[in-house]
Amino acid sequence: MEYIIQTKNLSKKFGKELAVNGVDIRIAKGEIYGFLGPNGAGKSTTIRMLLGLMKPTSGKVAIFGKDLKSERINILKKVGSLVENPSYYPHLTAKENLEAIRKIVGVPKTRIDEVLKTVRLQDAANKKVKGFSLGMKQRLGIATALLNKPELLILDEPTNGLDPSGIIEIRELIKSLPEKYGMTILISSHLLSEIDQIATTVGIITKGKMIFQDSIEEMRMFARQYIKLKVSQHEHAWRTLLASGMKAELEDGHILLSDQTDQHVAEAVQLLVQQGISIYRVEEDKKSLEDIFLQMTKEELAG
Amino acid sequence: MLAILQSEWFKLRKSKIILILFVGPLIGLFIGLTGNLIDVGEQMNQWYSPLFMMNFTYATLFLPLISGVLASVICRYEHQEGGWKQLLALPVTRGKVFLTKYLLLVLLVLFIQILYLGAIYAVGVIKGFTDPFPLTIVWKSIIGGWVATMPLVALQLWLSILFKSFAAPFAVNVIFTLPTILAVNSERFGPYYPWAQPFSMMYVGGSTDDVFFIPWDQLLTVVGGSFLIFFLCGYIYFQRKPI
Repeated sequence: MEYIIQTKNLSKKFGKELAVNGVDIRIAKGEIYGFLGPNGAGKSTTIRMLLGLMKPTSGKVAIFGKDLKSERINILKKVGSLVENPSYYPHLTAKENLEAIRKIVGVPKTRIDEVLKTVRLQDAANKKVKGFSLGMKQRLGIATALLNKPELLILDEPTNGLDPSGIIEIRELIKSLPEKYGMTILISSHLLSEIDQIATTVGIITKGKMIFQDSIEEMRMFARQYIKLKVSQHEHAWRTLLASGMKAELEDGHILLSDQTDQHVAEAVQLLVQQGISIYRVEEDKKSLEDIFLQMTKEELAG
Repeated sequence: MLAILQSEWFKLRKSKIILILFVGPLIGLFIGLTGNLIDVGEQMNQWYSPLFMMNFTYATLFLPLISGVLASVICRYEHQEGGWKQLLALPVTRGKVFLTKYLLLVLLVLFIQILYLGAIYAVGVIKGFTDPFPLTIVWKSIIGGWVATMPLVALQLWLSILFKSFAAPFAVNVIFTLPTILAVNSERFGPYYPWAQPFSMMYVGGSTDDVFFIPWDQLLTVVGGSFLIFFLCGYIYFQRKPI
């Protein structure tokens, strides 16, 4: 398998603290890789090392199959990035900001209008970025990252500080890039919900360690489902179910059935009705990915 | 590297602070026009009179101070909103970025020097000097002042990258520049004080045996030596700076 990004045992020490600890990232071509972790988990440090802004204490980074240390310039020619808070020159307009970068990456001037259009900033093109809202600055940051038509796009918290409509807009934009331009994308966030709907692969990092890395489907498997019953006399109902050999849990006055086959649910309901217990609700209770994410990162903290 | 230079110039050109380039030469012009010209005697060229006066204020104070401010300016917008990380995540090396910023500063100082040359000439024309313009001497002075500023610019660039604040490098600059007025009057310290070199190398009354107004060994050791130290320190610091 050929990976666009592959790190081996990537580590970074700040003094005694291991900010990134033996991380192996593998991102295949065309993926949208969601890089998740709580604040301070080591996401930005990892991303900085991927871009050569910071030197790893140990470990290796290969991008496009080339060693980052020896071929940094050639690699970065094909990479677009947005690291943490959007970077910009406050005294320049949006267009001028892009022009300053364009001179270095050497793409035609028409590209500026193209990327401004892509992030829908055409109307603010000639305004000083100083006065931009955070959302506009983020969009300008993404426009800058897209300027050189990168094969790999690295976006660190691109939806940070955006309002819901802004988040959806950016999400749609990012989602469209791999099909349209064949880009591979690494997008980091501390909120799973933000990349839940776009990522194809997920890597979860906490306390500098990668604790999960697989497809998003694989992660969804962790989402255990229950049938949740709201009944009268829940204590009595629960005992009745247990007594007849059904698996059930009592939680916050609700009964949770882990076996969700139609037949099983029907049996349970029938049994309870026969016992004269009123059933108010029968619903499916899906654990959100957010819960799993929290659970995973918490378990790691506890362990 | 040309691409980076164009980008740097673009960023600087769009900031209003660029007008600071005109401050030094304008002050020179002002001093030359308003000051009571010292009587240089019959034997000497008339042009020497404004040259002495203008050079003193310009070379001891304004040239070093303004080159320092310029260094801060071209680092300021990188510090402000994450410019460094954006710039260094592009396909550029840190070495080239540092070199380009330095090169731009040195070119700007040369530009200031040429404006100053214009100011000198304007003073003479306005005052109606009849003596021939001492072109060779003045050129030596202009180029000499430029060369002498190179180490100071290197130091200021280093400090401006090091400190996020605008004030810190400026304060250092002022602290070292002010004693120049004393240093140039001291035969013992003057030749060894890097901040005094712009004045010494622009001092048209100096010895003309050498190419510039100071001896070669002083030029090489004091100007060249301080340039090497400041430039290398800045260069190495920038290579290692965590972004």
